[in-house]
Amino acid sequence: MSTPISLVTEGLTKQYPGVRALDDVDVEIHGGHVLGLLGKNGAGKSTLIKVLAGAVAPDAGRIILDGEPVEISHPHEATQLGIAVVHQELIDVPNLSVAENVELGLGYPKSAAVLVNRRALRRKTAEALDLLDAGISPAAMVGDLGPAQRRLVMIARGLAVEARVLILDEPTASLTDTEIEHLHGVVRKLQARGVAVVYVTHRLDEVFQVTDTVTVMRDGEVVHRGPTAELTQESLIGQITGNAVVADEKRQSTVPPVGPGAEELLRVEGIGLDGVVENVSFSVHRGDMLGIAGLVGSGRTELTRLIYGADRPTAGRILAAGKEVRIRTPRDALRAGIVLLPEDRKGQGNITDFSVRKNITLPRLRAHRAHRWLPMPRRGDERRYARSLIDRVGIKVADEEAPVKNLSGGNQQKVMLAKWLDSDAEVFIFDEPTHGVDVEGKEETYKLMEALAKAGKGVIFISSEFSELVGTCNRVLVMREGRLVGELQAEAISDAALVERCYAA
Amino acid sequence: MPAEANGEAGVVAPAPEPATEGPKGAAVKRSGRATVEAFLAKYGVVLAFLLTVAVFCIARPHTFATGNNAKSILTVAAPSLVMACGLTVVLVMQDFDLSFGAMIGLADGAAITLMATHGWNWEIALVVALLLGIAAGALNGYLISYLGGPSFIITLAMGTVLTGVEFALTSQDTIFSGVPAAYAKIGQGTFLGFSNMIWIAAVIAALLWVMLDRTELGRYMYAIGGNPEAARLAGIRTKFLRLLGFVAVGLAAAVVGILISSQSAAYSPSPGTSYLLPAFAAAFLGSAVFRPGEFNIPGTILGVLFLGVIQTGLTMLNLETYVINLVQGAILISAVLVSRLGQRVA
Repeated sequence: MSTPISLVTEGLTKQYPGVRALDDVDVEIHGGHVLGLLGKNGAGKSTLIKVLAGAVAPDAGRIILDGEPVEISHPHEATQLGIAVVHQELIDVPNLSVAENVELGLGYPKSAAVLVNRRALRRKTAEALDLLDAGISPAAMVGDLGPAQRRLVMIARGLAVEARVLILDEPTASLTDTEIEHLHGVVRKLQARGVAVVYVTHRLDEVFQVTDTVTVMRDGEVVHRGPTAELTQESLIGQITGNAVVADEKRQSTVPPVGPGAEELLRVEGIGLDGVVENVSFSVHRGDMLGIAGLVGSGRTELTRLIYGADRPTAGRILAAGKEVRIRTPRDALRAGIVLLPEDRKGQGNITDFSVRKNITLPRLRAHRAHRWLPMPRRGDERRYARSLIDRVGIKVADEEAPVKNLSGGNQQKVMLAKWLDSDAEVFIFDEPTHGVDVEGKEETYKLMEALAKAGKGVIFISSEFSELVGTCNRVLVMREGRLVGELQAEAISDAALVERCYAA
Repeated sequence: MPAEANGEAGVVAPAPEPATEGPKGAAVKRSGRATVEAFLAKYGVVLAFLLTVAVFCIARPHTFATGNNAKSILTVAAPSLVMACGLTVVLVMQDFDLSFGAMIGLADGAAITLMATHGWNWEIALVVALLLGIAAGALNGYLISYLGGPSFIITLAMGTVLTGVEFALTSQDTIFSGVPAAYAKIGQGTFLGFSNMIWIAAVIAALLWVMLDRTELGRYMYAIGGNPEAARLAGIRTKFLRLLGFVAVGLAAAVVGILISSQSAAYSPSPGTSYLLPAFAAAFLGSAVFRPGEFNIPGTILGVLFLGVIQTGLTMLNLETYVINLVQGAILISAVLVSRLGQRVA
């Protein structure tokens, strides 16, 4: 590593159907420097990383490595050029050892031509691990390690391929303070060795601790580039959110704040799950449209799963309509009048092999009994009901007997909505209900949620898209690292206020 | 054809007919082919079954194509039918049960030993056998559904345990005397010209069919098979229903144990092992028909009948054992492939 590496992109552009993920993006990465790559979800950071890693081909623009234009059309080529990515999700093989993971696919040292030489393999890995001060045995099983250690193993893999550009995508998302400090130490060490580090993070304190320069992206464009030292936390938030964005087109919530006398439908007191959700308390009133804002991994989904009995809390209690309820299963939650529409509609929301009709009638199949005492659903009745909901929710499907797996993502989302819409529950929890839904469908979803709130139900709306919380909710709670860190009422709800609370140290 | 209708058709489709004929015909042909493929996907196994029956009828018109032979096939298939239908319930929920062979032996051995060796009333012995089946199934269900054991290995191990219990009860002795005539009548008797076993199997199959196809319980079971987490979040008692599935298998196995022990009025060690593979074969064959990709009772019934017909028919052809093996396997494979082929193209 005699001369410091430099990796420059010029005019990178990538168009997806309906989205310009990258719009004429110029980025400069230099050896011995740490570049902070910042921006909201969907700003284009991931696409940029994918282009550099050879996973996505850009529509236009070029990549220049050490002054020479290069083509990176396959991840393998990125590795050969010395570009390594440590992804946000841990992509490792838990049932293999640390050494086997670090060298996976790089050609294990062999003895007698075919047998893996474990001793040589471990020795090789131990060098990389020592450099990181990882304190991990190369022989340990990756599945036995904690998230911080697994992250280090993936970084060791980057060292094993002798990466000169190391891209760390939200490396600290699930780490504790001491683990984060250690990771920062590793980054500085790599920097001293002349590696160019790209550091993606949502935590602004980190930006000031480890990065030399920052590049801020918004809606696929680079909106700011410069030395970190010239920025303040406020100016950075301004760059990330784009304060100056016109506000007149924004959706306005039609749900009024509830009065002081409103009936309390749900009260959560000090609920927690070790290491995931800590001491969360809040309440939902009749007519509430309560947003829960937070970044991915802030514990929002986990919180709602606790309330719904999908997971068991380790602390706290839940009161429904003023009375303490024991919620140990989703069934208990439904009986207490709470409904959850989960985020993962394929894995948890729908039975994709079932028809639209069978999905819609599943939670309330009893309503279609031929006779009160006869637990046999009447198909004609089910069909009529399913058809009426297909119309009400606006599911685009030829007929109610089509399997849900044939529907688009947005329509699958609507099937989930349809199946709970007539539930006599009092509290509805929507986890990312507009994920993958087009603009028109989003507006329909907002209206359905608002209608529930106006009809006197309590609605909890979880979203990473803060603008939709601003445009629909009368109250918003902010979660960060498993805790509630703020509550905003009516007029005080704004994009900037939410971002500040989500990111602030 | 009345002239009126002809005239009307002429008015509706005048001059442009030749011009539209080409594309119209092609469209009809294409949709016709799709229909054939969809039909094969759903009913391919039925066709294969009918074809097999026809071949045997032609080859052995005087022995195979007789009412008595049909009755005999049904009687032999009856215990298999009970077992395969019970098994279908757990398969619907994506669970496995490999212990029912041993359960059959336990129920059989317990009933005969209690009557022949200990002189119990046959009614009480019968109830005890049924309760043993239910208990064994419930234990399977508890270990798998509530304690999270993998059903494959738990039921495999449970089979060994239950066979041990069977041997402890019977001392592995063959018993062929001292079985009350009233008990033997369950399997040996007839009603309206058909063996009691056929009636019992038909009633159980019909009940399970209605249960899986028409009741809330059945819908929930299919939901669990489709996506257990989504079913749980929809408020379905997934753990309890999975346990119930294993109880259904246990109960079915106990019924089979009673049927075969009463028919033979005797006990010989491990009588259930020969039912293990045919039950699975029938259920899987059935999952390729009527509701392709899903286990279903009508399919299972067809599967049992298919296996019974092949067995009897090949025996009647006086083929050598190795030929029977080859032909039996080949027929089953082609039956499933016919429906797969239709499914893939459709």
